[in-house]
Amino acid sequence: MEDNTVLKIKNISVCFDGFYALTDVNANVKRNSIHFFIGPNGAGKTTLLDIICAKTKPTKGMVTFYPEGREKIRLMGMPEYKIVTEGIGRKFQVPSVFVNLTVEDNMILSLKGHKGILDTIFKKTSKEEMKWIYQVLERVGLKEHAGLRAGALAHGEKQWLEIGMQLVQRPEIIMLDEPAAGMGKPETFKTGEILKEIKKECTIIVIEHDMDFVKQAADTVTVLHEGKVLMEGSIDEVLADKTVQSVYLGRGGE
Amino acid sequence: MEQFVNALFNGLSLSSIILLTSLGLAITFGQMRVINMAHGEFVMVGAYMTYVVQNIVAVVVPPSMQGIYYILAIPVAFFTTFLLGSIMERFIISRLYGREIDSLLATWGISLILQQAARSIFGTQGVNVTVPSFLEGGITINGCTFSLNRIFIILLVLMCLLGMYLIMYRSGFGKQMRAVVQNRSMAQCMGINSRKVDNITFAIGSGMAGIAGCSVALLGSIDSTVGQSYIVNSFMAIVLGGVGKLAGTVLGSSIIGFSGIFAEQYTSATIAKAIVLLIVIVFLQKRPQGLFIVKSRSLDE
Amino acid sequence: MKKLKNQGSNICFLVIVILLALAPILAGAGIIKSTSMVLFLGKCIAFAIVAIGLDLIWGYTGILSLGHGLYFCLGGYAMAMYLKLQETQGGITDFMQVGGLTELPLIWRPFQNIFVSMLMVFVVPGAAAGIIGYFIFKSRVKGVYFSIISQALTWAAYSMFIALSPYTNGNVGITEIKSLFGSIKGSGNIDNMMKVFYLALLLLVLAYASSKYLVDSKFGKLLIAIRDGENRTYFSGYKVSKFKTFIYVISAVFAGVAGAVFVNFNGSITPSQMTISYSITMVIWVAVGGRGTIIGAIIGAFLINLCEYNLSSGSLVDIWQYIIGAIFCITILFFKGGIVGLVKERISKVDRKTD
Repeated sequence: MEDNTVLKIKNISVCFDGFYALTDVNANVKRNSIHFFIGPNGAGKTTLLDIICAKTKPTKGMVTFYPEGREKIRLMGMPEYKIVTEGIGRKFQVPSVFVNLTVEDNMILSLKGHKGILDTIFKKTSKEEMKWIYQVLERVGLKEHAGLRAGALAHGEKQWLEIGMQLVQRPEIIMLDEPAAGMGKPETFKTGEILKEIKKECTIIVIEHDMDFVKQAADTVTVLHEGKVLMEGSIDEVLADKTVQSVYLGRGGE
Repeated sequence: MEQFVNALFNGLSLSSIILLTSLGLAITFGQMRVINMAHGEFVMVGAYMTYVVQNIVAVVVPPSMQGIYYILAIPVAFFTTFLLGSIMERFIISRLYGREIDSLLATWGISLILQQAARSIFGTQGVNVTVPSFLEGGITINGCTFSLNRIFIILLVLMCLLGMYLIMYRSGFGKQMRAVVQNRSMAQCMGINSRKVDNITFAIGSGMAGIAGCSVALLGSIDSTVGQSYIVNSFMAIVLGGVGKLAGTVLGSSIIGFSGIFAEQYTSATIAKAIVLLIVIVFLQKRPQGLFIVKSRSLDE
Repeated sequence: MKKLKNQGSNICFLVIVILLALAPILAGAGIIKSTSMVLFLGKCIAFAIVAIGLDLIWGYTGILSLGHGLYFCLGGYAMAMYLKLQETQGGITDFMQVGGLTELPLIWRPFQNIFVSMLMVFVVPGAAAGIIGYFIFKSRVKGVYFSIISQALTWAAYSMFIALSPYTNGNVGITEIKSLFGSIKGSGNIDNMMKVFYLALLLLVLAYASSKYLVDSKFGKLLIAIRDGENRTYFSGYKVSKFKTFIYVISAVFAGVAGAVFVNFNGSITPSQMTISYSITMVIWVAVGGRGTIIGAIIGAFLINLCEYNLSSGSLVDIWQYIIGAIFCITILFFKGGIVGLVKERISKVDRKTD
């Protein structure tokens, strides 16, 4: 095993009612990289993320997580909240923040550690933690909105908040499902810059349709098609590939 | 053997009564996701309508033909509750789509009002209907007696099931109804008047409660709480069978009905009921979605 | 102004407590003529406590329990069993003899001791809720499914209580009992009544303070998070089922304590307090007062019961059912926030004008 692999996806298949959403998917995600999964609708991208974070059980296969400085962890069969506390965060396609809590409260709830009952009742958030929260908020550009109800944020801001909620946990891997969906060009660009900034500290797995965004940020791209891996490589290799062009880029346009 | 056949028949009979009250719920809860706590009171209204029709018929028709009141009572009960359901949908339920828990609470308010109305009109004492002469007695085969009114209820359930199947899966309206349930805004775009479809769907579900009330009237005395005693079982039958499937409702009702009767062989009736409910709850641990799972690729409902 | 708004519920609660504290003194001085009014207020205190518990799981966590009557009764019976045994000097009761028992059944024995009994008021409902909650929440049953199951459970327990009449006195329940401090009826026992009343009031203050602390802490935020996005909360790394079970237990203990307080003032407990309809009545209090605010639950419990007390006597008893049904329906349809929600809206409107 090469040293810099952080997540190894091996022979994953998943079957819904006789329909194979994924067939023998393999991928290695490298540490401190931005790894994109792209592919047409129904290619199984979201399903793959669901499997990594235990929302869906695969029919067969294995996902292994290699945390820095710790023993490897097999993610199969672990409940989702444990996977999160081990250091894998997930942002969903539809922004899901706690709409009736303030931005700050959303961040406090996402902090690493203190996830037990007694901790949440008796433990106050420390000064360092608050400082860290505001650092993250500044990075995602929401510092001014800290006291606002999260439900009152604009769509794009909710996306950033959810990214911030992942960051504040100091995860090793962040998975983002269409982080730029519903954003305009400048917002998308800003999101890309934020991602490039945070990959210094963690690994990012992204699902995205917007090819400009992929070009801007991607280190590695895996193309999925009808539940299978079509190819994996750098963005230039992927763009140059004939098959990819025919099934995805050429047909769907952008 | 005799005892076993009797138990089997009683189980079938109890299942059919639970199924009759569940059928309406299968529409309002299963299809429309509305928890109608007043459903039990609609059953009560149906039962009281049977009583009312009997009293009117007694005045008009010579004593030898008294029995026909019951034939009349079924459509009367159906349309009364149909109308009640339609009104309730129009003014209350239509504001609560997508708020399941609130629909439960608001309809509870209605059920309080209906119960009190029943007490105000008919008094707190229970009333009885006379079983029509053609349903008196029973058939005896090999020493086992099958009472006619229970056989009648079983047939009534079968007819209702058939009717519902035809409406839901074999009629134009059924198509519209399922379309609205599956994708409201798309159905609207296709030119379906979803408000009207909702209203009629809910009214049909309520009408089924009225028919159930007719059969309940045959079995015992009618008072303002008669519906309540059936409704808990019916809700459990729906949950057990899996929400949204007619076949699941049939199976769920049967399991609750039969296991209730068989548990009764060994212990008292109340404890048997309690045990059955506990078994259902334990079962739901294993399959929270019920027996019949509506599978879908959408991962978050 | 802002500070006043934040303190609004505390001030409101303080006013309620002071008014309540005056009641027995006024009765003692003969200004309030009937002591039955004070006894009734005592019952209201019990109702307010169970309403707080219900609000914690429904208003904050979004779990609608239609079975809190069960926990109310478990606490109530624990207290009533102790008090009944005080009457019989620890011996067998008359209904047991009627039921064919010759000696005190085993489950009644612990209630000969006051400390064990008081412990049971907390432990029995808490443990029952713990077991039920653990299994139901573990399998991720939620929303209306939980409500339907809690309703079925309550119904099952109700049937059991009636069926086991040699142990529970069935439908009649445990009756003709005095309070913890002896008889409280009549003008000769005003001292006893005051003791019970102020103890109840103290419990209400404790219930308010502890639940307020709970909902203001990070834990309270988490409850709201669970209500608004249960899956999201799992994916923030919390074992949601554990939290749900915990708050369900807390809420059941509140209900149990309330039941125990209720028995002292009511002088009896019957399975009718365990029915589904009684349980939903408790939900009505919370809904009308204002779900998701502790003070709302208290206000709702007092207001509805005071109305009922004044209206449901004599010829108005029929109309009361119509009124409460309509109030409930209208609250759910048009005033989701209840009374407190309305007041809050008003205040923020005034705020905006002055800004």
